[in-house]
Amino acid sequence: MTRFVVRRLISMVLVLFAISVLTFLIFQAIPNGDPAQRMAGRTSTPETVAAVRRTWGFDESLPEQYLTMMGKILSGDVISYAQQVNVLDEVRRGLPATLSLAIGAGIIWLLLGVLFGLLSAMRAGRFTDRALTVLALIGVSTPVFLLGAVALYFLAFKVQMFPNGGYVPLTEDPLDWLYHMSLPWTVLSVLFIGIYSRVLRSNLLDTMSEDYVRTARAKGISERRVLLRHVLRNSLIPIVSLWSLDFAAVIGGGAILTESVFNLQGVGQYAATSIQQLDVPPVLVIVMLGAFVVVVLSAVTDVVFALLDPRIRLAGR
Amino acid sequence: MVRVRIASAAVFAALVLAAAGCGGNDDDNGGSTSAGGGGGEGGTVSVLMGSAPDFLDPQLGYTTQSAEATWISYTPLVTYRHAAGASGGELIAGLATDLPEVSRDGLTYTLTLRRGLEYSDGTPVRAADAEYAIELAIRINWGGKSFYTNYIEGAADYDARRADDISGIEADEASGQITFRLTEPYGAFANVLAFPSSGLVPTGTPMRNLSNDPPPGVGPYMITGVTPNRTFTVERNPRFARLGIDEIPNGHVDAIRVTIVSNTQSEAQRVLNNDADIFDAGDTLPPSILPQIEAQASERFSREAVPSTYYFFLNTTKPPFDNLKARQAVNYAIDREAMVRLASGFLEPSCWFIPDGVVGHPGSDARCPYGDEPDLARARQLVQESGQAGARITVWGQERSPRREYVDYYTDLLNEIGFDATERIIADEVYFPTIGNAQTDPQTGFADWIQDFPNPSDFYLLMDGRSIQPTNNQNFSKVNDPRIQSELARLNSVPVTDLDSVADEWAALDEYTAERAYVAAYGAETHPKFFSDRLDFDAAIFHPTYLNDWTSLRFK
Amino acid sequence: MRREPSAGLGPYRLAARRLRRNRVALAFGALFLLIVVLCLCAPLYADHVAQTGPNANHVTDTVMVGGVEKDVVSPTGQPIGPTWQARFFFGADQNGRDIAVRLLYGGRNSLEIGAIATLLTIVLATIAGLLAGYHRGIVDGVLARVLDLIWAYPVVLLGIALGTALALGGISIGPLELQGNSLLVPALIIGVVYVPYVAKPLRGQVLRLREQEFVDAARVQGAGSLRIMWSEILPNLASTIIVFVPLMIANAILLEAALSYLGAGVQPPNASWGTMISDGIRLIPSAMHMTFVPGVMLVLAVLGINVFGDGVRDALDPRAKVRVADVQEHEEISR
Repeated sequence: MTRFVVRRLISMVLVLFAISVLTFLIFQAIPNGDPAQRMAGRTSTPETVAAVRRTWGFDESLPEQYLTMMGKILSGDVISYAQQVNVLDEVRRGLPATLSLAIGAGIIWLLLGVLFGLLSAMRAGRFTDRALTVLALIGVSTPVFLLGAVALYFLAFKVQMFPNGGYVPLTEDPLDWLYHMSLPWTVLSVLFIGIYSRVLRSNLLDTMSEDYVRTARAKGISERRVLLRHVLRNSLIPIVSLWSLDFAAVIGGGAILTESVFNLQGVGQYAATSIQQLDVPPVLVIVMLGAFVVVVLSAVTDVVFALLDPRIRLAGR
Repeated sequence: MVRVRIASAAVFAALVLAAAGCGGNDDDNGGSTSAGGGGGEGGTVSVLMGSAPDFLDPQLGYTTQSAEATWISYTPLVTYRHAAGASGGELIAGLATDLPEVSRDGLTYTLTLRRGLEYSDGTPVRAADAEYAIELAIRINWGGKSFYTNYIEGAADYDARRADDISGIEADEASGQITFRLTEPYGAFANVLAFPSSGLVPTGTPMRNLSNDPPPGVGPYMITGVTPNRTFTVERNPRFARLGIDEIPNGHVDAIRVTIVSNTQSEAQRVLNNDADIFDAGDTLPPSILPQIEAQASERFSREAVPSTYYFFLNTTKPPFDNLKARQAVNYAIDREAMVRLASGFLEPSCWFIPDGVVGHPGSDARCPYGDEPDLARARQLVQESGQAGARITVWGQERSPRREYVDYYTDLLNEIGFDATERIIADEVYFPTIGNAQTDPQTGFADWIQDFPNPSDFYLLMDGRSIQPTNNQNFSKVNDPRIQSELARLNSVPVTDLDSVADEWAALDEYTAERAYVAAYGAETHPKFFSDRLDFDAAIFHPTYLNDWTSLRFK
Repeated sequence: MRREPSAGLGPYRLAARRLRRNRVALAFGALFLLIVVLCLCAPLYADHVAQTGPNANHVTDTVMVGGVEKDVVSPTGQPIGPTWQARFFFGADQNGRDIAVRLLYGGRNSLEIGAIATLLTIVLATIAGLLAGYHRGIVDGVLARVLDLIWAYPVVLLGIALGTALALGGISIGPLELQGNSLLVPALIIGVVYVPYVAKPLRGQVLRLREQEFVDAARVQGAGSLRIMWSEILPNLASTIIVFVPLMIANAILLEAALSYLGAGVQPPNASWGTMISDGIRLIPSAMHMTFVPGVMLVLAVLGINVFGDGVRDALDPRAKVRVADVQEHEEISR
């Protein structure tokens, strides 16, 4: 166990390091992307640009600049280029919206995904299954920003049933929060419901042909009981581990498109605007946050499953 | 089982509907509005902004979103009249007793600080604060700081940390006299003193970005309650009225609460539905909502021109546009009516470089050298005559709308008249550094200039051969014309107060520029003035430089 | 689970037979094929029906609709909706360009990107999977870390960061020189980003295969490792790879649309379904057709290939060795 944790920690640090270097280099490679020039303004002389470069330390070597920036990120006082505000404060401000989106949508897509997957498997090959399959695939085939924009047009603009985007903190007005989140939750869930129901369906069909299930059936246990007690339980394990990864990705700013369409001003939207402004510090912070959450949650999932199921051996991935 | 699915879907739908019904309180983010007492005084105006101000620190802000708040909270020694149209470009005394006195050689500007001034926190204003504000702006790298470092004696040394203060600024506390010595006669220097970044702040204000907690200033309002990228409030400064600066109004409403929404569509919709009071004039009104606004709210919506020039630059040092006929062909071909449509009507067409509202604009009696209607046949013929037919051209453009649409149109047009043009659209943030880089040395593309201040010399900076530089070049056409140079040497040194006396000479220069087709100008941008029906629309001033004048807002 | 009789038939013949029986999959496959053919015919439509190119502006032109002369773009910038006739069949965009023509040309670009990206993903992933699975040890360790890296990197973020950087700078790797506005740039990015999702399951399969007797037999006969990988292991991966192809095409088209929505996809004036949708979204209330037309086309194409791909998987891989999850578990792309 200790060995597993240590190995995971080392690999996590390595991945985070590599990701931060990669991100840093991507932005260095942009031609004319010198932040000093942008900060000095359109009419600046070469001397002013040089002065900005000095103040911000852009005249140092790349490794030095990278180390300085990582030092600032870790000590919590990293300042963005575009608005020169503390990036971690901004990320913190965006987290409630992002968490709201992730938790709400996560619950919806897990419940409905399992429900539809179960239905599909029980009726495998019949009409219900076919219809659910096509529905799920429509969900998987529709870009979330298209779905979101069309939903906003019909439900918020034409029939003013939902607000036209925006986020209201839960602490400010719980009902208004729910009112603002319901459409983003639904839209983000559609894709996942499609995926999860398909995954669960094939897992269930797979498990049903396993020997122990046949044994159970042979013992005369009712089909329904077999399905719920034996099959579903085992098929849910991969679903839950899948869920924790997707959930982590959404928290780590993965829901860029949903946040942007609904203007939730969460972490993902902050990442999107920062990339547009070629603002390296926030991008670096959010990318690392995303990777961190993904890595940690997948490790936690592995541990939990290992504890639940002694047959799973822990190994560094 | 099918029934189960339907049932659960119904439960979910019911939940959502319940949420929708219960949360029927429409005004998000606390953008509530309370109409004040009688006579339209008092109350809180809610303003929605699509893009956040770059900075709320007066010494750093450079965008209109920022200036709307800072120019009424940080009064400089001189400022602009609170009026619409051309008179809004007129300089008035701010914290100084009068407009600057300019020495005969144009090198020394002298002003006197009013007596008994105090900041919004009660600190008395000192003459030295005028110097400190400029030092602060230089030290924390304000985007326009070259206006200081290029002209004030010793400012460049201060910038390079070769000096501890700016030797060219002297302040005498006893008399309140403040003197600026310049390195060269620069007629627009009084305009530089009117920048919000020249607005006085107490000496000793920390030399860093104070946008989250702006320093005290002198003005009818003060900036409070800042949550970056979310909201800020501009509140009435109770100490201002006593100061007796008559030409700066005290304002009518108690506070202006600004919410940043970053989605202009919902921004416009909320103002249309009267859920918020002002659609910020610095934002682009989404064209898709225009039909609705024009149908339902035409009495509280107008398009207001802001002195600016939108043009395609034509690099005069490189084929094909080193050829006069090739440049003229472009000017004949451009359909300004098409540009207006691409801008969804937010463009005032013009063929001149100096825009309407700025001294030197050739005016209505001058005729465009290329006629008012596009002439494609003439353009094609000129391209043939120039010997540049089939020349390969890369057209540079910016991503944001409608600028990309302009360039899409322009590229197609160049192909139409006989060139072989391809388009290169790049990210907004790197656009000007890229086309201003000698390594790019672009042939043609989008360019704009929005006035820093209402003075033709601010525009002709872009035609000045001296401003051609290897990086951050702003003279994109690389114009270096002896006639323009000799005229600029003379006209640039005329002080703002005498500007009217040389209006005709500026106009003649601008007509010359048009004849030489150094650029293909197509108009000035207009901005939306769009209010809720609670506000007095007609009484509100649309200022040519700082857009909606918040001191003029009042409830009906 | 029903078992197919396997007497005397090769696995691919069997699969083809199963696929032929799946009418739904075939119908959707045909739909996708139809869209491909339509898009290939774009120049014909442009020259002979609409008589305008995909990038030709008609901002101040007019068009006769039902005997009435109408502006293609109104003075306030509102484009005309569908006319249901040869010119502007699906209406115009804000630059007065014919949506129907752009739809077909844009479709060509979207499909081209989908195809190139898929090819790239499959080739890279197969190489990575083979090397990592067969050699294990250091090769595996290094490759696995690289894949983990791409995998842990939030996909859309990686996509737009790369897209923004490369759209500005272009790419030059040795003799390969790509302009920033080349179609190959988004194709390259998408192709690389998806490699781990295919490489991981392939590696797992190789790990199992290398322990099989027939591999040992080849090794005993003195075959080199390249030869074993090529002629012993690769053929056994073929069915898995075939299953991945349609899924990857669908995902690549979707990711391209997402990148274009965030400004890092196909560069103007060229269109793709994604750029057309993102142009349209700005104008949704007043010009719904600008979003609807490319949106419906995109969903139909992706749905077609997805349902068909589902059928192919069922046919080739009834025991569901490759799960939807393997490809789609990290589909932030479409979020």
